[in-house]
Amino acid sequence: MRVHDVVVVGSGLAGMEAALRASQDGELDVAIVSKVFPTRSHSGAAQGGIACAIGNQDPEDNWEVHMFDTVKGGDYLVDQDAAELMCKKAPEIIYELEHMGLVFNRLPDGRMAQRSFGGHSKPRACFAADWTGHAILHTLFEIVLKRKVKVYSEWYVTSLIVRDHTCHGVVAYDIMRGALEVFKARAVIFCTGGYGRAYKITSNAHANTGDGLSIAYRAGIPLEDMEFVQFHPTGLYGSGILLTEGARGEGAYLLNNDGERFMKKYAPERMELGPRDIVARAEQQEIDEGRGINGKTCVNVDIRHLGKERIMERLPQVRDLAWDFLGLDCFSECIPIQPTAHYSMGGIPVNLDCECVIDDKGTKIDGFYAAGECSCVSVHGANRLGTNSLLEACAMGAIAGTSAAKYAKSAPDLSLPDDADVEAKREIDWLLNARGSVKIADLGDELQRTMMDDCGVFRTEAQLKRQYDVVKNLQQRFQSIGLSDRSKTFNTELLGALELSHLLDFAEVIVLGALNRTESRGGHSRKDHPKRDDANWLKHTLAYKDVDGPRFAYKPVTITRFQPQERKY
Amino acid sequence: MAEHTTFKVFRYNPETDSKPYFQSYQVPLQGGKTVLDGLNEIKGQQDGTLTYRMSCRSAICGSCGMVVNGHSKLVCRLQIAEVLKNFDEVVIEPMRNFEVIRDLVVNMDRFWDKMDKVTPWLVADEENVPATERLQSPADFNVIRDASSCIMCGVCLSDCTSLEVDSNFLGPAALAKAFRMAADSRSVDREERLLELSKEGGVWDCARCYECVQVCPKYVAPMETIMKLREMTLKADLVDNRGTRHVEHFTELVLDSGILDERRLPMKTVGLTDLKGMLHMAPTGLRMMLKGKMPLIHPHIKDVDELQRIAHKVEESK
Amino acid sequence: MKYAFFPGCVAKQTCPELYHSTKKVAQALNIDLVELENAACSGAGVVSQQNEALSDALNARTFAMAEKQALPIMTICSTCQGAFCRANKRLRQEPYRDKINGYLSGNGKNEGGYKGTTKIKHFLWALVEDLGIEELKKRVKRPLRNLKVASFYGCHLLRPSDALGFDNPDNPTSLEKVIDALGAEPVDYDGRTRCCGFPILLENENASMAMVSKHTLEAKEKGSDCMVTPCPLCHLNLDVQQPNAEKIARQKIGLPVLHLPQLVGLALGFSEHEMGLHKHIVPTGRVVEKAIGS
Ligand SMILES: Cc1cc2nc3c(=O)[nH]c(=O)nc-3n(C[C@H](O)[C@H](O)[C@H](O)COP(=O)(O)OP(=O)(O)OC[C@H]3O[C@@H](n4cnc5c(N)ncnc54)[C@H](O)[C@@H]3O)c2cc1C
Ligand code: SF4
Ligand code: SF4
Ligand code: FES
Repeated sequence: MRVHDVVVVGSGLAGMEAALRASQDGELDVAIVSKVFPTRSHSGAAQGGIACAIGNQDPEDNWEVHMFDTVKGGDYLVDQDAAELMCKKAPEIIYELEHMGLVFNRLPDGRMAQRSFGGHSKPRACFAADWTGHAILHTLFEIVLKRKVKVYSEWYVTSLIVRDHTCHGVVAYDIMRGALEVFKARAVIFCTGGYGRAYKITSNAHANTGDGLSIAYRAGIPLEDMEFVQFHPTGLYGSGILLTEGARGEGAYLLNNDGERFMKKYAPERMELGPRDIVARAEQQEIDEGRGINGKTCVNVDIRHLGKERIMERLPQVRDLAWDFLGLDCFSECIPIQPTAHYSMGGIPVNLDCECVIDDKGTKIDGFYAAGECSCVSVHGANRLGTNSLLEACAMGAIAGTSAAKYAKSAPDLSLPDDADVEAKREIDWLLNARGSVKIADLGDELQRTMMDDCGVFRTEAQLKRQYDVVKNLQQRFQSIGLSDRSKTFNTELLGALELSHLLDFAEVIVLGALNRTESRGGHSRKDHPKRDDANWLKHTLAYKDVDGPRFAYKPVTITRFQPQERKY
Repeated sequence: MAEHTTFKVFRYNPETDSKPYFQSYQVPLQGGKTVLDGLNEIKGQQDGTLTYRMSCRSAICGSCGMVVNGHSKLVCRLQIAEVLKNFDEVVIEPMRNFEVIRDLVVNMDRFWDKMDKVTPWLVADEENVPATERLQSPADFNVIRDASSCIMCGVCLSDCTSLEVDSNFLGPAALAKAFRMAADSRSVDREERLLELSKEGGVWDCARCYECVQVCPKYVAPMETIMKLREMTLKADLVDNRGTRHVEHFTELVLDSGILDERRLPMKTVGLTDLKGMLHMAPTGLRMMLKGKMPLIHPHIKDVDELQRIAHKVEESK
Repeated sequence: MKYAFFPGCVAKQTCPELYHSTKKVAQALNIDLVELENAACSGAGVVSQQNEALSDALNARTFAMAEKQALPIMTICSTCQGAFCRANKRLRQEPYRDKINGYLSGNGKNEGGYKGTTKIKHFLWALVEDLGIEELKKRVKRPLRNLKVASFYGCHLLRPSDALGFDNPDNPTSLEKVIDALGAEPVDYDGRTRCCGFPILLENENASMAMVSKHTLEAKEKGSDCMVTPCPLCHLNLDVQQPNAEKIARQKIGLPVLHLPQLVGLALGFSEHEMGLHKHIVPTGRVVEKAIGS
């Protein structure tokens, strides 16, 4: 058994911010547990920028405008107290990162440069070329090294130990040795990232399997707003690898097969700079109506008019991605793109202190916190604005670290339940001895394909019902899988199976949540219910694990400053 | 083109294999597929025990460094078709200069140990911290921009020729990180860093082989950063060692006659006062003399003055 | 075929056999060499560590000399070729070239400066690209039939490929093609694209010698009778320093290392003496025997 005061699961932006805050005064023993090495976390893939209303580029900008954009972008499902908190905290977070050594683009006067981004009414994205997430991730990691924070790299957390609404720690599997160990902690912070891998075309890394969500779900914690999945409009055709939204920010055109800038039909004012959900739906509509490029499921992004110099200065990765993954020269050719599953608005429900709350009465799981993409506070509501999630990961990660530390300092030292790791052991033993004939790769592939087709950009009742059956069937077939690798050393097949079992668990929640929600809002778009329905659906979904599937409940949205209006761009 | 591509993959499981071996797989070939896609295909459909690291599959997480047909690459951004332009089959081995854990997975501790040695964080003025950001001009940002794009994949270490023979060498990635910190306009410890980096295993031990520049999948060009660290060290006139003397006397001798004097350079580099060093070189010198490899008169070009005039102008323009 | 010939410092001093064998072989192949007698050292990537602008200015001066004669430059040294190509790449950018030309101007000697048009070819590339492998085959008088030859390219002839742009650095083939054309058998081994260790000979001798022994021993193990290199600096480490590498490796190596023109010359029928093989530190007798005995 390993004992720490605070255990942070995940080492992306949220996880490292949390660990740094929790260990700031040196009083607590803080450890990070992560299934990948910290700098391999998916935060590093974020390209475009991090939102922060410091007004370097436009002095008119302030936190309130930022908050309004966020609330509107989220189609009014945003909890406005949370959005206010995040937007107000943004400058502190950015300056702190800069002081740590962040390498960011600058204005001629030496202040940080900012650029425009979809859905933001002011240029407020601070950035480092097109590797913003990478720059922040590595800066935070440098400070983790400087502070000598203990990191368990390549340890896979399999379960959360919760008894009587109190968290006691986690169980984790050391990938290198193949050993299961119990981590006892006064406070646990989940920063386990998103669940894009439920989809075939996704911008997310292979590691983004949303483990943290179903681990919490299995421990009796509900999941909030899981039906809201963001599709990014510019995924590379075929793979979904992301082409930064920065490209549109810098002035890229979106063209259909007729060479038409089709966004004029969907967002005449903001054109290509409209928010993601609107642009993604526009693309899907063009594709569905037969105006995809050469009849394929893609449209074109054109940056040729920006010129080589500007592309090289501001969008070098776009050039590389087009070249390396499609063999295209973006100086002289258009790049085919399609909507790609990108961000998970839903997650573990938490309050403004990042404490996990499991119902609308504010009931907490003591000592359990969540931040970043795996959580739902909810600053993004039904749709996240670009550059707001790096901010959320950093700001809420920091808050989680601070509040968990505060709690850990006063929490009683509880004894661990005897059966803490029984379930985890059973699961791993079962997998190592699974000798069925079903291949996990086939199940994963089928899940991802069908989720894309029937629970994707557009949804209907018929599709969702069909998809529910598919997921149920896949869950059943999972019982007959066969694994061939029984080694203890670095058994990646075992990990793949664990991840798949998580995907299958929460996919059901996504599908049923989407089926229940008979309206269209933000990232959730029902063809059979095309209008937003505030009278019935201005509320958050909560899904609890029950014996034979999720049980649904709802909780109200916090509205403080801005009353819901129609969302137009 | 064949319908299948042969993947010849290094296999080793310490639990069952007494020594490594190669295993061949046939991978159905489709256009636009990467070597990582090929590995995933094998793992998913043919052999679940094949072990390797990967995550982002878009060349940003740094997980998937491997040796492919002799040189280190990120397999996620390597098109199979690209490999087949030069080779008949795809031969995949774990990265070199690291201990193998299993199949294509290596122990990266060595990478991080080296990183730890270069104080891999910014040391700035902590006394006068402004309320907003510290200022940095776009030009100063540009100095460290490319070096900051390192994804810590280890590919450069895997191909580093100095590291291969000298485990003490800090290696390209750590030195690039050191450059990124030392060259940052906000840093306050540049001189200490440069002094530290001039010690054994530091910037003067790079063999200038360009392997790291060639294989780095990002814009780091590690060796170029090492050369810049050398330049910074020379400019600051901080150290006097064989490395600095070599560069300084090289330039001086070239300007002296237009042709580098190969007899005098080694002597000047080692230092005339270093008797032991001189004696150590004597047998080689003698052997060369006997073979007529040491001209008695040093040649020179006609227009030596011209070189000095140019050098003067360059110097003046600084 | 006519070139502005840049022999480099080493061929003029410690490897005179390279200079003389090149001249003889060129003549035999009807390659016209106009020596750039007034050109300065390429800087070898060392001068640029102190002052890149100075290094580029000296090289721009050399490139301009060839440009005036409308001739491509031919080098016989991987290191010079590398330094030249990297400088030429920078000098192709206009604002930078103007700045460097500014340093050259002043006394009318470098009138007009460098315009950025000079092509630079290593002797190896000239053989492959300009003479052609088929043509080379035809000129061979004495195929080196029994000889197994390990190529050693030298870093700077291959990397960085965006400046050099001839061979693929992962799998270069030009030396092997030449070896094959000469009737000998190329030996494949890992070390052929690696570093000889010369640049750190004085700074880190043990590491440098470890490189020498690693590559020579590997080549030997793969059955090579000798190595051939297009780089005299590689030669200095692999041949001249081989006895020192043996001491550190605690074993005999005894692998002769030929300059590329020497190997070509043997196949063209020149004698071992004409090719200056007696000037090597590692005896070349066995190679000559095999080559000529064939
Ligand atoms: C391609 C791409 C581009 C993006 N660009 C932007 C952008 O420009 N601006 C913006 O604001 N947002 C952007 N986003 C979104 C943003 O990057 C993410 O939302 C954010 O980085 C999430 O951070 P995180 O810390 O919550 O999670 P992550 O960085 O994903 O980290 C998750 C961590 O959890 C760990 N983990 C997960 N499961 C387990 C387990 N079972 N056991 C142990 N550890 C586990 C992982 O190892 C990892 O360390 C982008 C996203 C993508 C995919
Ligand atoms: S150039 Fe230097 S650092 Fe780079 S691989 Fe060669 S020896 Fe290593
Ligand atoms: S310098 Fe380049 S090759 Fe080396 S670790 Fe960094 S990104 Fe990888
Ligand atoms: S998988 Fe991330 S770099 Fe290749």
